[in-house]
Amino acid sequence: MADRTVTRVLGIETSCDETAASVVDDGSVIVSSVVSSQIDLHAKYGGVVPELAGRAHVELLTPVLAEALEAAGSDCSGTGIDAVAVTYGPGLIGSLLVGVAEAKALSLAWGIPLVGVNHLEAHLFASLLEQPDLGYPLVVLLVSGGHTLLVEVTEPGRYRLMGGTIDDAAGEAFDKVARYLGLGYPGGPAIDRIADQGDPAAFAFPRSYPGDGYDFSFSGLKTSVVNAVRKHPDADTADVAASFRRAVVDVLVARARKAAADVGATALCLAGGVAANALLRSTVEEACAADGIGAFLPSRALCTDNAAMVAAAGWWRLQHGDVSPLTLGADPNLRLAATA
Amino acid sequence: MADDVVTLLAIESATDMVGVALVRDDGASAERVHVGGRVHAELLIPSVEEVCAVSGCSISDVDVIAVDLGPGLFTGLRVGVATAKALGQALSVGLVGVSSLDILAAAAIQRAVERSRADPADPADPAGMVVSVVDARRGEVFAAAYHLDRADGSSDPVDPGTVRDDRSEPITPDALEAWLSELAAAHGRVTVVGDGAVRYHHQLAAHASLDLEGAAELSAPPPLALAHLALTRLVRGEVPVAAADLVPDYRRPADARINWEQRAPRATPNEASGNGPR
Repeated sequence: MADRTVTRVLGIETSCDETAASVVDDGSVIVSSVVSSQIDLHAKYGGVVPELAGRAHVELLTPVLAEALEAAGSDCSGTGIDAVAVTYGPGLIGSLLVGVAEAKALSLAWGIPLVGVNHLEAHLFASLLEQPDLGYPLVVLLVSGGHTLLVEVTEPGRYRLMGGTIDDAAGEAFDKVARYLGLGYPGGPAIDRIADQGDPAAFAFPRSYPGDGYDFSFSGLKTSVVNAVRKHPDADTADVAASFRRAVVDVLVARARKAAADVGATALCLAGGVAANALLRSTVEEACAADGIGAFLPSRALCTDNAAMVAAAGWWRLQHGDVSPLTLGADPNLRLAATA
Repeated sequence: MADDVVTLLAIESATDMVGVALVRDDGASAERVHVGGRVHAELLIPSVEEVCAVSGCSISDVDVIAVDLGPGLFTGLRVGVATAKALGQALSVGLVGVSSLDILAAAAIQRAVERSRADPADPADPAGMVVSVVDARRGEVFAAAYHLDRADGSSDPVDPGTVRDDRSEPITPDALEAWLSELAAAHGRVTVVGDGAVRYHHQLAAHASLDLEGAAELSAPPPLALAHLALTRLVRGEVPVAAADLVPDYRRPADARINWEQRAPRATPNEASGNGPR
């Protein structure tokens, strides 16, 4: 039996291609975290296939939940669980609905509150799970297969969107270029592996800085890669990958650095699946050291989609009395609403 | 509530109707349905709450859960099956999966029985032929024929699952029409139900031997029919399954898989792109 002075939240995440469940105490202590990735299922298509993802979530939700509860010393009667938090958007509608249906059923069966969580907000909470004493304000660079955002966080749960991509997300650019180069899926790790053997200065790919704010654009870069390869069919793939990766990272870090400087951030924080990229991590660390601000790079497990961050965000919402009705639906286009 | 009374919760979301029923083997029952729009995810669990409330019981009184496994609309099926699995897991109760086509047939049989009881001169024939047709979208239907004349007469009511002639893949309306013509020629009158019969009514209505009168009323599998059919199967010895073992009956591969398998002979993505570097 959990200590009753603690608030224990079960988190559920099914917004894309990871089926995940996690038990977190007081929004900060991960008691259990189970993530079942569908990467192998989607690999041969070079990207996530929505209908396959939805079907896989239905098959995986029962064992993933059982494992997360068991690892937390609970069982399927939900003993000790005080609330259930679930990602209800943004994401793939057919995937989101599976998790939302499951969470609502658990809320009714166990008689505990339901908390709908914004997937993007959950990513912002991921950093707090490993470093609860981060100073504020901080700037979070959230980069994944579906999103590329710069967010100012003034305190936990209070944030302001500073910029985003006007076309492809960074992770999407990695996936598309990797597919074009025949490197496999997911593109980030595939490009990372081969790029380490290439020359990042071999191709002078363009760095795009749309507007004078904090937005991003990657579709032109993708086209440049295709054109370069057509022009130089004998080019070493490692050189192309290294030059492409360098261009993406340069743009991400330059804009994040500017954002951090402009708001006087105490630290720059990474979030999202692309935050696992080795070059991005080392470049952010160097930039922050040079600028005299903190760099916070969550572990790979917390960068990629997981349910611990959903439980953490849900706990925070619960503390603020933000409970969802059982009529909760999924919102595939949910945005990050400014609260700062 | 007496311990020896079985309380069954039925979840139906295979078509654009979403509904639930709560029945007990002492005859008590309650049903809620919502039609139209993308309301499955929103209204399913609140409907479960409602049927529990009007039945004067709590969700923890539920002993077994029945759910429509399809065929039907993929997203609707997923919401219903995910909900049933999570409830089954959280309440530690078993699940009974039932075919949408069987539920429609059971409802058609029940309606014919009621009509012939009320008016013996009514042409509705509970011992004839019923065909369930579910709209599969993209110009196709899922269908199954039920040869009620083959029922051995020992069980009342007849479980349509025992006299089913199923089609494991979706078929075109033309193929359906040809099949129904054959069945009508062999059996006389054929009762056709389900939203697929509603959608292709204009095409089927040309055949006088097809009884399409009840198709609109029985366009979606009724939750109560699901509940009673599942209860009948439990009484006859069907063993409920665990949450982990229940999967929807999609009857169609996911789109990407189809596309990939058609494209697959063109080799690896690198070669397929034609001009990638080595």
